[in-house]
Amino acid sequence: MTDNGGQASGGDQPVTAPLLSIDGLRTMVSSRRESFDVVRGLSLDIYANEVLCLVGESGCGKSITALSIMRLLPTPPVRVREGTIRFRGEDLLSVSGKRMRSIRADAISMIFQDPLTSLDPVFTVGEVIVEVIRAHRDMNKEDARRLAGDALTKVGLPDPISQLDSYPHQLSGGMRQRVMIAMALVLDPDILIADEPTTALDVTVQAQILDQLVTEQRERNMAMLLITHDLAVVAAVADRVAVMYAGEIVEQAPVDELFEDPRHPYTQGLLRALPKVSTTRRRLDPIPGLVPSLQMMPPGCAFAPRCPHALDRCWTEQPELAADQDGRVFRCFNPQPFAG
Amino acid sequence: MRRLVARSVYMLVIVAVSSVAVFYAIRLSGGDAVAAVIQPGSASLEAREQLRELWGLNLPIHEQYFDYMGRLLRGDLGHSLTNSTPIVDMLVIHGRHSLILGVAALLIVFGLGIPLGILASLRRNGVVDASIMTLSVGGMAIPNFWLALLAVWLFASTLHWLPSAGCCGPKQLVMPAFVLAAEGLALTVRMTRSAMLESLDRDFVRTLRSGGLSEVRVIGRHVLRNAMIPLVSLAGLRIGQIVGYALVVETIFGWPGLGQVLVNAVLRRDYPVAQFFSLVLVALVILGNWAADLGYQFANPRLRAARS
Repeated sequence: MTDNGGQASGGDQPVTAPLLSIDGLRTMVSSRRESFDVVRGLSLDIYANEVLCLVGESGCGKSITALSIMRLLPTPPVRVREGTIRFRGEDLLSVSGKRMRSIRADAISMIFQDPLTSLDPVFTVGEVIVEVIRAHRDMNKEDARRLAGDALTKVGLPDPISQLDSYPHQLSGGMRQRVMIAMALVLDPDILIADEPTTALDVTVQAQILDQLVTEQRERNMAMLLITHDLAVVAAVADRVAVMYAGEIVEQAPVDELFEDPRHPYTQGLLRALPKVSTTRRRLDPIPGLVPSLQMMPPGCAFAPRCPHALDRCWTEQPELAADQDGRVFRCFNPQPFAG
Repeated sequence: MRRLVARSVYMLVIVAVSSVAVFYAIRLSGGDAVAAVIQPGSASLEAREQLRELWGLNLPIHEQYFDYMGRLLRGDLGHSLTNSTPIVDMLVIHGRHSLILGVAALLIVFGLGIPLGILASLRRNGVVDASIMTLSVGGMAIPNFWLALLAVWLFASTLHWLPSAGCCGPKQLVMPAFVLAAEGLALTVRMTRSAMLESLDRDFVRTLRSGGLSEVRVIGRHVLRNAMIPLVSLAGLRIGQIVGYALVVETIFGWPGLGQVLVNAVLRRDYPVAQFFSLVLVALVILGNWAADLGYQFANPRLRAARS
C-alpha cells in the first residue's frame, strides 16, 4: 500500500519483525515555568495483524504516545524529546512533514475518542472523505466519491450513499464514529490507532463499534493499536496487552497470560479493581493512593508509593522492563503471585 | 422558511415604527421650516401662514404623518422645501456617491480585515501579530471624526498626497473610505483572529491532519470556513456602523452622499428631505442585518438544515 522506497515490506520479513517499533520514546510538556516528561522512555512493538491494547488510567500518557506516533502532538507545549518510532524501517520522528502527511491515513490511521467534535461541522461527510482520498491518490472526484461510498458501506452505516451528503450533526454518535472509521480505513492502512474509540458512546453502541473495528482489522490483515482504560474491552478484543503507568510500560503480555497471571502489582491491582458481578464478594477493591504527579516523580519505581509489596530498593532504584525466566515481560523487583 | 418570513415581517414592523419615530423627532426637535427658508423680516405673517398651510404644517402631526406615509407608499417622495428639488433626484444623485463610498468602505472592512486577521492568527504572538493588533486597538479607540482630522492634517496638509476634501475621483475617495472603514476594519481583524484561533483549537483539525491533508487545506479551507460563521453573523453590525458613520465622514470630507444631504436637511429643517433620508438609513441598517442573518444561516449547516 505504501511506497516505502525499497524497504522490505512486512510480508517478506520473519513474523517476529515488528511493523512499528517505538524505542525509548520520551515526550515532554514544557511551559515557561516547568517542563516534565509525560511519556518516560516508552518502548513498544506493534506486529502485523495483531490487536495490541494499550491500557492505563487517564493521564498515564496513552494518548500522547499515539499522537507522538502520528506526529500530531499539540506543539507547543507538547513535543517528543527523545527516541525513535520506526515504521517499516523509517524513523517517523525524522521524516519530512510532507512524507509524514503521506503516511497518515494511507499507512497509519487514527480515530479519536469523541466523534462529536472530531468531524468538521461545516462540511459533509462525503466532502471530507473525498478530500482525504484525493490528498493521497490521483483520482477524480467521482471515483473518490464512489470509494468514499464503499467505505461507508463497509463500516455498516445505514443508507451509506445518501449519508455522503450528511453533515455530522445529522448523524448519531455511533454513526459518526462509523464515519470516522470509514475515513480512517478508506485507504487501507497497515496500522489503525484507535484512541478510546468507544468511550464517548452509549454502551450498546460501544459493542457494535468495537465489533466493527475487530471485523475490519481481521478482514484487512491490519494491525490495530487500541487505546483504552476498559479492561472488558481488552479481554474482548486484544491479542496482546501493554499496561502503562505514569508514562511508562509496566507489563506487556499476551491477553490470556495477562488476565490469568498478571505479574506487575499495578496490573494485579487493575484486575482486582474490576467489579465482579458473579462472585459473592460485591465490594469494590480499588488500588490505594494516587498516581504520582509527573512533575515530581519518585526516584525509584513509579508505582512504589501505592505498591503493597514495595521493598526498600523500590524507592531508590528504577526497575527495568525485562523478561523473566518464564518469558514474561514486566517492570518489578518483587513480583508476587496473583490472588484474584 | 418560516424563520425567513418571520424575519421579514419583523423587519417591516421596525421600519414602520422607525418612520413614526423619525417623523416626530424631526418635528419636535425645535426650529421651524418656514423660518429656516425665509429670511427674518422679509415676509409678512400672512405669507408665512400661507406657506405653512401649503406645506401642511398647520395640521396635527399624526395627520401630517398619515398624509406623508400615504404619498410615500404611492411613490411620491415629495421635494425639498428649501430648493424644490424632487427627492427622487436627490436619492439618485447622492445615493450613487454614498453607494460608492459605502462599498469602498465595506471592501476595506472585509477585504482587508479578514486577510489581516488570518495573518495575525497564523503568526500568533509574533511581531506581525503584535503590530496588527496594536493598529487595530487604535482603529477601535480613535473616534472617526478625530481620525478624519488627523488624516487630513497628515495626508493633505503635511504630505500633500491626497486632497483634503471633495468628490468624486479615486483620490478623493481614499481618505473618507478608510476613515469610514477604520472601526469596522479593526473589529473585523480582531474577530477574524480570535475566530481563527478558536477554530484551530478544535478537535476536527486534528482529525483532518490525521487524514494527511496539507496545512493549506486544513487551515485555508476548514478552519477558515468555520471561523467565517461568527464573522458573517456580525457583518450586519458592520454595515450599520458604516451607514451611521457616513453622516459624519461625508460631512467632514465634503463627500456629497446621502449622509451629507441628511445633515444639511436637518440643519435647515427641510422636513421631507430629512425624514425620507432618515428612513433610508434605517432601512439600510435593517436590511444589512437581515442579509447578515440570511448569510449566517447559509454559512452554518445546522441552521441551513433546520430551515428547509
